[in-house]
Amino acid sequence: MKIGLEVHVALPTKTKLFCSDSTSYSDEPNTNICPVCMGFPGSKPVLNKETLILSANIATALHCRVIERTSFVRKVYFYPDLPKGYQITQTEGAIGNGGSVAISGKEVRIRRVQIEEDPAKVVRGENYTLLDFNRSGIPLNEIVTEPDICSESELKEFLVELRSILYYQGIDIDREIKTDLNISLAEERVEVKNITGVDSLLKAARYEILRQGSLLEENQPVKRETRAFDEKSGVTVSSREKETEEEYGFIFDTDLTFYDTKWIEVKKPVIPRLVAEKYSKKYGYDEEKLREAIYLNRDNMDMLAYVDDGAAIEKVVNLMQKLRSKPTKEVIRRLLNSDINNLSREQLERWVRGEFDEPEPVNMDEVRREVAELLRSDPSLSKRYKENKNTVNFIIGKVKKKHNVSYNDIVGIVDSILSDNQV
Amino acid sequence: MNAHTVMDYKKLVSVAKNVDEKFNAFNAINENLSGGRPISVKDNICVSGLECTASSRVLRGYIPPFDATVVEKLKNKGFSVLGKTNMDEFGFGSFGLNTEKQTKNPFNPEYCAGGSSAGSAIATASIKDHISIAESTGGSISAPAAFCGVVGFTPTYGTVSRFGLIDYANSLDKIGVMSRTSRDIREVFGIIRGGDERDTTSTDREVKDEPKRAVTVVDNLLDLVDGEVKEHFQDLLGKLMNAGFKVNHTKIEGIEYAVPVYYIISMAEASTNLAKYQGFKYGKGAVDYGTDYNTFFKRARASFGAEAKRRIILGTFIRSASVKSRYYEKALRIRANLIKKLKVALKSGYLLSPTMPIKTPRIDEIERLSPAKIYAMDVLTVLPNLAGLPHMSFPYAYPEDMPIGAQIVGDHFDDYSVMSFVDEWEKSFKYKFKYSMG
Repeated sequence: MKIGLEVHVALPTKTKLFCSDSTSYSDEPNTNICPVCMGFPGSKPVLNKETLILSANIATALHCRVIERTSFVRKVYFYPDLPKGYQITQTEGAIGNGGSVAISGKEVRIRRVQIEEDPAKVVRGENYTLLDFNRSGIPLNEIVTEPDICSESELKEFLVELRSILYYQGIDIDREIKTDLNISLAEERVEVKNITGVDSLLKAARYEILRQGSLLEENQPVKRETRAFDEKSGVTVSSREKETEEEYGFIFDTDLTFYDTKWIEVKKPVIPRLVAEKYSKKYGYDEEKLREAIYLNRDNMDMLAYVDDGAAIEKVVNLMQKLRSKPTKEVIRRLLNSDINNLSREQLERWVRGEFDEPEPVNMDEVRREVAELLRSDPSLSKRYKENKNTVNFIIGKVKKKHNVSYNDIVGIVDSILSDNQV
Repeated sequence: MNAHTVMDYKKLVSVAKNVDEKFNAFNAINENLSGGRPISVKDNICVSGLECTASSRVLRGYIPPFDATVVEKLKNKGFSVLGKTNMDEFGFGSFGLNTEKQTKNPFNPEYCAGGSSAGSAIATASIKDHISIAESTGGSISAPAAFCGVVGFTPTYGTVSRFGLIDYANSLDKIGVMSRTSRDIREVFGIIRGGDERDTTSTDREVKDEPKRAVTVVDNLLDLVDGEVKEHFQDLLGKLMNAGFKVNHTKIEGIEYAVPVYYIISMAEASTNLAKYQGFKYGKGAVDYGTDYNTFFKRARASFGAEAKRRIILGTFIRSASVKSRYYEKALRIRANLIKKLKVALKSGYLLSPTMPIKTPRIDEIERLSPAKIYAMDVLTVLPNLAGLPHMSFPYAYPEDMPIGAQIVGDHFDDYSVMSFVDEWEKSFKYKFKYSMG
């Protein structure tokens, strides 16, 4: 079995890809529109450069090479949702090429990450069709995989990984993801176009696996064709029989130019799978539980980085699953210093709301022990401290994560340790 | 505003109507014109509130809600739009005949006005002191300027914003100016040029005025010119030599590919630009929403003219996966190669040639020609257009009382240098006009 995907996700920009209209998709239909995204004669597209930055980061997170000069093409087809009669998209000049996403035991290769514009939204009624051009021109990334996915479980896992990577690139993954599914159990490739949402994608894939499988068992040919997924009935239906590749007549869009990408500072991407792996190796903690906690939850990811501590990790992961909103640093400190098993849910929720019955307890003996340990491990600290009292800030930074201590507290402790040592 | 000026505007509107009745110069006339310096604008350039059809039935009823950047700039400098000038549909034509109201030459209405900026040339040739904003893709300013006996300037690609221009072929389209003197062109070009954030391909680069004292004739290009035109052109070279110009001769290999390369690239781009005309939001097709999409779409697109349909079909073929490398991609490489060769030739001065290979033809002569023969008439104008080089057509002789034009070409961003050449020409040569209405 071979499965390849073309996944479309909306980029989190304020304005559209080629004009300055808002990308807000919950507004009154046909209010975020202008001559450019309506394709009025005489209007010209102007690229929203922010999409280059976002796409270069996404491409990097998917291990793609970011092309040095990116360019756009026109993909010509006729459909009521396409106001210009062509979609501005990318082919050879795509921003990202040749990447991969790791799943269990293998890598799914990413052929391309391309920037393109969303068509208008089509709303079908019983005997009418409505068009909402608010969606026309919203910037998308199309992520094209190689046909490396070989089972339903690999498909599921790939989607989990991809979504978590995209989540950490700022993509709103609750927004509908649209996918074209290429699936072949035998030689001929079947394409199921324009599937909305992950659940439908999995259903469509399962339906095709069963359909193609039974055709093969009966020694009947599987035709090369394009199909559509009907959400209501959960089946795919043939939309048009095509023996050959679709003809889009791509040409370079000469209203646009080549765009340099070398100026873009790509941030080190967060790959949640690797983070879970790292912490689980470091502390011997259950990788699966860590994944569940951090895959689609930035607050949990932050907490994990904050408490980077083997003893606390179990507590934190358990808490992550209990808490709905991200606790403050003070709450985390209190939690780490208390007996979580005996903590009532009510008290925990009060803390999260910022209601504390008593001042945060500080275990000064513990603080003193940690400071002494720091001074011992780095002898230069006490020397530097004698020259410059501000060195204490470094020590505060180290212990503050766990203990609510002040500048004066630490100065007192350091002074007393140093004088003790001299005696 | 005093009564005298108001009278003048009324008169000007009636003059425009008169020119339109005689030669079919306008698609729309601004009857409410009541102030500002009048200027006409080719009907593929958007003027807020004025119907803009590019002479196509498919665009009938399209009233742009915005001004093209050139129009906005001109309005800011006190110009006002007298009318939208007739043209070959979407710019598809060299003789001004691919339009519902076929245009006629003001020197003799049985002759072609040239195209595609036919109406701009007619208005300029007929109305006193008139200036018109025109547009060229492959010679649409030079050709009608030559046939109607006016000065037609096409700038370096990118120096004038295309925002508000209805696209024919985006990598080739250039908005330019026609007038009765090079001086007016210099003034208007100074207003409309410059980078525009609404057109990515526009640029703010400095434009030079460095007049040259030498012209180069591409001999193998001149071989393609009709004998009589060639004789007149030799006289022009003689005059220039007498005026102290050095005349060089050269040959450029591969110029025979210029016309096919131009048509391949322009048709490929045009066929994508015309995909937007589906009758949904404007135009004639928007009548019966009760049909299915394919029927609706077919009806709307039936209203394209014959030449537009031909270019959509050919352009779509050229872009198709099976032949793209054989035609489109090869054409792009030859284009790049020709640009290199032209720039080498331009090192020793301007390039000079007749503008058109024939004298102004009769309308019925052109109607009898095949499309391929008609396309071949662009051989002299497509070169600077393919290369995005600034060029200007100017009248230089009047055999049998009809004007013929020559085309002077400069290097990229040498736009003012090209104008300076024509400035000097105008000092010793007086243009003739049959009409100077207004």
